[in-house]
Amino acid sequence: MTTLLEITSLKTWFPTRDGIVKAVNAVDLKIEEKEKLGLIGETGSGKSILGMSIIRLFHSSAKINIEGKIVYKGKDLLRLSEEEIRKIRGKEIAMILQNPATSLNPVLKVGDQIAEAIQLHQRLAKRAASEKAVEMLEAVKIPAPDKMANKYPHEFSGGMKERAMIAMALACDPSLIIADEPTKGLDVTIKMQVVKLLREVTKQRSMLFITHDLGVAAEVCDNIAVMYAGELVEYAKTEDIFKNPLHPYTQGFLNSLPERGLKPIRGMSPSLINLPDGCRFHPRCDYATGICKTRHPEMAEIGNGHFVRCLLYDRS
Amino acid sequence: MIEVKDLRKYFSSGILKKQYIKAVDGVSFQIERGETLGLVGESGCGKTTVGKLLLRLIEPTSGKISFDGIDLLQLKKKELRKVRPRMQMIFQDPEASLNPGMKVGDSIAEPLKLQGGLNKREIKNKVSELIETVGLNPEHVNRYPYQLSGGQNQRVVLARVLALNPDFIVADEPTSSLDVSVQAQILNLIRDLKRELHLTLLFISHDLEVVRHMSDRIAVMYHGKIVEIGNAKDIFNDARHPYTNTLISPASIVDIKTTSDYHGVSGCVFYPGCPFAAEICSKKEPEMVEIGSGHWVACYYIS
Repeated sequence: MTTLLEITSLKTWFPTRDGIVKAVNAVDLKIEEKEKLGLIGETGSGKSILGMSIIRLFHSSAKINIEGKIVYKGKDLLRLSEEEIRKIRGKEIAMILQNPATSLNPVLKVGDQIAEAIQLHQRLAKRAASEKAVEMLEAVKIPAPDKMANKYPHEFSGGMKERAMIAMALACDPSLIIADEPTKGLDVTIKMQVVKLLREVTKQRSMLFITHDLGVAAEVCDNIAVMYAGELVEYAKTEDIFKNPLHPYTQGFLNSLPERGLKPIRGMSPSLINLPDGCRFHPRCDYATGICKTRHPEMAEIGNGHFVRCLLYDRS
Repeated sequence: MIEVKDLRKYFSSGILKKQYIKAVDGVSFQIERGETLGLVGESGCGKTTVGKLLLRLIEPTSGKISFDGIDLLQLKKKELRKVRPRMQMIFQDPEASLNPGMKVGDSIAEPLKLQGGLNKREIKNKVSELIETVGLNPEHVNRYPYQLSGGQNQRVVLARVLALNPDFIVADEPTSSLDVSVQAQILNLIRDLKRELHLTLLFISHDLEVVRHMSDRIAVMYHGKIVEIGNAKDIFNDARHPYTNTLISPASIVDIKTTSDYHGVSGCVFYPGCPFAAEICSKKEPEMVEIGSGHWVACYYIS
């Protein structure tokens, strides 16, 4: 396997009047070719910002400090000029944004929106781009794609809008797809249809799958990285995360699922401005000892490809 | 406690050519005192409409609702106001249910003021008591909704709902906008409060696992109709209706059926998507049949 994307000590910080929001705080992550990597965590853990940092999907006037390295096919994306990253964004690396209802332009026909994405990157006449858009809608199994291409987003159901978003992401045949909560707000049956579709269309690609839905992550991903308060706390094969979660946060996260007894983690996620000293999770952790309050644990490999950031497993 | 008979709500649209959307189409069920009935189904199946109808927040097209022996639909506005405090609703989105310009303490005090009979100090005491009941800190009283997290706001909503000591609560997807770990906190809180305060609950959700955890009995709804109802255990271990089965194991995926597929269907509502559909299913609507104690199914394939 070859590495497609390698992120090294990525920091995405937002300076604000109230202090620095450390949304992504020294994250290391690798995505192999054709790998589906799940990134799970709760609202505010920084997972969406991590996804957006990869293709620098921020407004040009936004005050951000991004540090570290994001190497994609040998190029450090963080060193590219705005013009260079544009050639990668949408073409090589495409993002499926959260909430299709607000991501699609409500006053443009769905087919035209997909065609627009195609024309940005490929020298195609308008007509050919429109035909390609219909093809893409067909690829994501939208019934009567030629008719649906001429409709507006409000005429699509939630599941169909999500399919249209996937069609747009696939339009330029990217090597990596960043899917940010693509199943949020969908009904169970529709959700499983979208998951099935995502699995099919990413067979030959890599995907960073951002979600807080563990069931969906289990269906889609080869490996899973768990994010808490801006940093990764555990990384392992999907199976290992579910069968043998090591980090107390991962364990708590799993136990709070209804099918595992609905036992909540006490307390709340910390503010990303005021991170606790030591281990970020210690104020909520049942196993915390004195040292957890002061020492910040490093990511350490415990078993075969299973990494965890917790002093419980620190043998040094 | 609650008895619903053949409840219908049709929404009409169009001026020249009237079209009817049958949001709720002949629904009947009962909820015993102290019981939680889970109502599960996909978005657009009419479950929220059922919840609103029960509290008469919207008027039904036809049917009968009795609440603790009172025929709700016969009540005049004034009489209804007297019954209202006894029934409350928790809505999906806590941020949208709270007035953004009002401190949460004032939001909780509002129903107490409207009800009258308490002086300022008594109201203040009652608010602090409620804040504690739902697991918030006293200082939260002076915060605004935007300063609180989604889970905390849902606690505020709960405190306000409990302010008037209701007997019956409709909880409409109370955790669908929350994270799993916060969801667990709120669901446990609702369950504990229900037990302590002897509440009767209609719990609406599209998440079957959540409903299972919360309910004594479960009703499964599809396109405006209840297709199966029974004890939570029976619904999970012995689901009969093909639709209930697709909800439990979504692996057996049904193809997308848009609402237009259902226009002019005179038989079973699930017929267009059902793997077991036979000829009769498209012609005549199946009746509810009791197949076990308290376990009812509307399906020809089963009966």
